Amino acid sequence: MSSVTFDKVVKRYGTNVVVRELNLDVADKEFLVLVGPSGCGKSTSLRMLAGLEEISDGEIRIGDRVVNNVAPKDRDIAMVFQSYALYPHMTVYDNMAFGLKLRKTPKQIIDQRVREAAKSLGIEHLLDRRPRQLSGGQRQRVAVGRAIVREPAVFLMDEPLSNLDAKLRVEARSFISKLHQRLETTFIYVTHDQVEAMTMGSRIAVLNAGDLQQVDTPFNLYHNPRNKFVAGFIGSPAMNFMNATVKQDNGNLLVDTGVFQVTIPARKADPFRSHVGKKVVFGVRPEDIHDAEFQPPGITPSMVEANVDVVEQMGNEMILYLEQGGANFIARTDPRTRARVGGKLGVVMNIDNVHLFDADTELSLSYEAKMKEMPIGKSK
Amino acid sequence: MTEVLKRADRIPAERSTPSRLPGILFYSLLTLVVIIYSAPSIGVLLASFKSTAEIAEVGVWTLPRDLNFDNYREAWEGGSAGTYIRNSFLVTIPAMILSITLGVLAGYPLSKLKFPGSNALFVFIVAGLFFPPQIALIPLFRLFNSLGLYDTLWAIILIHMSFGIPICTLIMKNFFTAVPTAIREAAIVDGANEFQILVRLMIPLSLPALAVLATLQFTWIWNDFLWPVILIRSDEMRTVMVGLASLKGQYSVAYGVQSAMAVYASVPTLLVFVFFQRYFIQGLTLGSVKG
Repeated sequence: MSSVTFDKVVKRYGTNVVVRELNLDVADKEFLVLVGPSGCGKSTSLRMLAGLEEISDGEIRIGDRVVNNVAPKDRDIAMVFQSYALYPHMTVYDNMAFGLKLRKTPKQIIDQRVREAAKSLGIEHLLDRRPRQLSGGQRQRVAVGRAIVREPAVFLMDEPLSNLDAKLRVEARSFISKLHQRLETTFIYVTHDQVEAMTMGSRIAVLNAGDLQQVDTPFNLYHNPRNKFVAGFIGSPAMNFMNATVKQDNGNLLVDTGVFQVTIPARKADPFRSHVGKKVVFGVRPEDIHDAEFQPPGITPSMVEANVDVVEQMGNEMILYLEQGGANFIARTDPRTRARVGGKLGVVMNIDNVHLFDADTELSLSYEAKMKEMPIGKSK
Repeated sequence: MTEVLKRADRIPAERSTPSRLPGILFYSLLTLVVIIYSAPSIGVLLASFKSTAEIAEVGVWTLPRDLNFDNYREAWEGGSAGTYIRNSFLVTIPAMILSITLGVLAGYPLSKLKFPGSNALFVFIVAGLFFPPQIALIPLFRLFNSLGLYDTLWAIILIHMSFGIPICTLIMKNFFTAVPTAIREAAIVDGANEFQILVRLMIPLSLPALAVLATLQFTWIWNDFLWPVILIRSDEMRTVMVGLASLKGQYSVAYGVQSAMAVYASVPTLLVFVFFQRYFIQGLTLGSVKG
């Protein structure tokens, strides 16, 4: 059990900067997810922590100890690889015991730990098999088992579920979450899948192109993204963006997208006043666009009429691809919506939940103001 | 359901009909090749059971009149086949082991521990494959002479060890490169050092490559004629191939004895093939990463 600190960590390959001044505190027993598109530096950051990549600049601490020049085996970490990286010529038992044998752990203790771990993972009956005789899900469990028996202070996982099929992946998500609760150890988990990040992380760090964008709880990240990248990356289908201008009309603030105008409720308008007359990016999540017929109560609606391009009936909801005046947007509506491809549909946007981003910096204009309202509050 | 099964049964039958004729041609051609390739061995085997008189009378290509082991006895006792074969083993086994060991030790860092200039070094080592060993004949002769190794088996061992390095490095480097890097990294996180990774992971995983190399090296070194004939003078130091050639002088037209000696000489290579064939297992790495 240990905290982990990235202090101004930089990774360069020649002149190419892959990770730029990463500052990140991971609390003891936390489940932190590093998420971002490929090439964002998330795996590199994890590999620097594991000791598989050198740190170009800055400091990584595990607990209070600076580990920059500590060999991987002395860092008290264990890692689960995307490809599982099981030793093909060894049995499952030997795969799990390998690390302990290298550390000259007494035989009875190895045996006890391997059998306990195997039992807890439901792979007891596979101990004599070799990796090639296992299914993908079983291999994944063996890889996790190999990490568990070492009883490390920090668990590192590098996209451990991306080789599983969709159904197994859902099962494995809850399996790893339960594992974290049971072991009460620090987990650092890398994924490019925002659903994995949202469902498993106690906090999520979003990276893009080597820069840390935001670190927060899944709830805060979703409802109060700090910038346009986070807003677009977290959530599926992604948030709709439209270029717009903020205008003032009789003391009310209007957002004009050129296609439609929405009036910002007075109680929400304060953070946007500084941008009157300026260009902004207007963002609204698909679930905040409703079919006017099934408009939920208690929202602040703004009516728009749109052409229906594509209808995806999901059963529990309906995904509509809409178009109005050259602007395309996606709505997640009530499944009873009577939308027909090629027809028109009246939709309402819930103005309470719209986001505005500065057109240049792409920072959310309401981030600070909303942070104070967040029910869970900002964790550090 | 039964409909589907019936249809599935029919498919192979339908497919095999049009391909029957090319199949016959293909197997006829294969049979022809087998006959051409095995003719010398069959000839030697037949001659080894015949007396000189019988060979002179009916030639090589008939079945021997009776199973006569005189030639084998003659080659073993009169032709000192035992000494020659022992010498060949004394050269082949150490030279094979040493060259493969050096190939492993060179191939691992060249594939998994890249350093500046490692690619150039690799090219430099492998370039050795493109030089005919005869180029170094006279310098090596003089070198071993001045080292006092002329007419010793050490000279032959050292030569085959060195000339084996390029091919052993090439094959081992390529094989190690095919072992997923994640396996090495998993072992590093597990606490293994490079030596442990090499001995406990890389070498067990490269058994197929080692088997291929062992077979190649054994055959080459065992069958080598050039170096022993240049560097060995005394009869008791001769390897089996030189001994086989030298029989010609002792028994001017003793085809039968020479054939028996050739059979002796080929048995070890044959056994090596039979033994290592079991280890030519493909896909030993299957299942370690997503398969």
